[in-house]
This record gives sequence, C-alpha cells and structure tokens, in this order.
Amino acid sequence: MAPGGNVRIDVERSIQRSADESAAEIRAFLLERKIFALNLISSPGSGKTTLIEALLARFEGKGGVAVVEGDIETEIDAERIRKLGVQVRQINTRSSCHIQPFRLLSVLREMDLSTTRLLLVENVGNLVCPAEVSLGEDARVVLLSVTEGDEKPLKYPLAFKTADLLVITKTDLLPHVTFDVERVRRAARAANPAVEIFEVSATTGAGMSDFLDRIEALRAAKR
Amino acid sequence: MHELGIANEILDVALSEAGRNAAKKVTSIRLRVGVLRAIEAGNLSFLFEHLARGTPAEGALLEIVEDPVRVECDACGVSESPSFTLECPRCKGAGVSVTGGDSLSILSLDVDT
Repeated sequence: MAPGGNVRIDVERSIQRSADESAAEIRAFLLERKIFALNLISSPGSGKTTLIEALLARFEGKGGVAVVEGDIETEIDAERIRKLGVQVRQINTRSSCHIQPFRLLSVLREMDLSTTRLLLVENVGNLVCPAEVSLGEDARVVLLSVTEGDEKPLKYPLAFKTADLLVITKTDLLPHVTFDVERVRRAARAANPAVEIFEVSATTGAGMSDFLDRIEALRAAKR
Repeated sequence: MHELGIANEILDVALSEAGRNAAKKVTSIRLRVGVLRAIEAGNLSFLFEHLARGTPAEGALLEIVEDPVRVECDACGVSESPSFTLECPRCKGAGVSVTGGDSLSILSLDVDT
C-alpha cells in the first residue's frame, strides 16, 4: 500500500479466538478419553457444590468421576470434595472472574483421568463472565436458587441463553419466598427453546433423581 | 471488570494486524459487541487506553457497533431489541424467542501507514 495514508484493514475476527481455541483443545482431549464434562455456572451460593455432592453420590461405583473447582480464592470447595475420596483440583482464578480454558486444560493434563468417565467443573460463582467462555464442556448447567429471585434470567440473559440444563434449586424454600417458577421457565425458554429445566431440593431430595437420571443418560450417550 | 481480558485481546489483535500491514499507528478499531455481552463501553475504553500506552495503538478510538437481540414473535415476525426481553417490542405478545446479541468481534482497524 502507498505509505503515508490512513487505511482501513478488515479483520472480522472473534475477540475470544484464543479462548475458543483452548476450548476446542479441551473438547478433543475429552473426546479422546470418552469423558463427559459438565460446566456448572451460577451465582455464589446457589448450590453448585451441593449438586456436585449429589452427583458424586449417584455415580459412586459407576466409573470414575473427577472434579475441578474454580474460585477466586481458597481450597474450601476442593477440601469438601476431597473428603469424599474423589479426585479434585482447585483452580484459584484470583483476578479473573471465571475459569480460563487454558488453565483448565493444563490442570486436566496433570490429573490422572485414566478411569474417569465424568468430569464436573464448578465455575466461579458469577452469572456474567463464566457464561461468556466455553470450557469445551459437553453440557452447561446453570443453577438458580429460589431465594435469588425470578428476574435472574432477565438480568443475566447470556447465562440462560447458553445453558443446556437449568436447575432450579432449594425448591423446599418456595413456600417462604416470592419466586414464580413459571416466569423463570418462560424466560429460560425464550432465551433457549431447547433448554431442559429441572426443579430440585437437595434438602428433601425432591426432583433430584430426574436430574441425576438425565446426567447419567447423557454421560452414557458419549462413547 | 471482565472488560480487562477483552481489552487485552483487542490490543493483541490490533498490534499484530498493524505489524502485518506495516502500519505506523492504529487510529481506530471497530468492534461488534452483542447487547447480551454486558460490556460497559466506558470501562472497555478506559482499560484499552491504559494497556495501549507506549504501543502503536496508543490513542486509538474504540468504535462499538451494537449487535441487538432479534425477537421472533409468533404473531408478528422478527424485530430487534436493545436488550433481552420476554415480550414482542411491537405487539407486546409473550410468544417470543430471542436470538443473537452475543457477538464479540473486531470488524476493522483504521491505521496510518
């Protein structure tokens, strides 16, 4: 081009290309080992770790499960899972508000996943940034507890748009809070008509087996 | 502050494209940003300005082309909305599905050669 002028260069490139490339590497890594992976996303305190505990109880003796915990700081969640005798790694994201796919990839490469069939990744408690980044997962699970309010899908639409499964948690508390389950179902379906919706209570066990059956079926389908 | 990683990636792309095209200076960068991306333009510009100091992209303007959501209404077809919605912007009907609004890309750079 002639020097000295102002010119336009067409780029047309995703800003997340490097993250997308790492996610694709994770997807290939998991496929090669036939590991089915869930990426769990929610606000802090919606019950991600509790749901993981329920999944671990269901899959006990049914082939290996491994867990990766993401938090800004601390090993608290990893310790909780480690006590159950399950292989777990904690990623402390510090200044980053979500698990970066390249960090997950390097952790997975360090783990012994030779007998693992199910990988549970608990993302940082946050409905914004984790929704923006694929971790190469087979299914994305978004949790919404009834104490958080039924406007969450309107306030954080990307999280609900990108969810494969929506789990409404703490349903035993419904009599005590104002939470319109139908409104949430409608909003989630508007954002993603294919989303599968479950209502569970870890305290009473209500609805839990439907969710666990579904995960077991999805995992079995990946061979 | 999720804009920080995004500002970083914009700068990386701008500098590598500028280098490939033997440009002396990047004067502006056009981005397409989906309204569902929760990106605050002021934050993004502030962070970019800071990161770009001392590079050929110092002082480059970030121009944001907004990508709205498309609302498909059972009753009246497709329209656009600047935010996620549960009702059709035209007829206020509830039979809608919402698509798009999630792009995040660099469209072009203006450079001095």
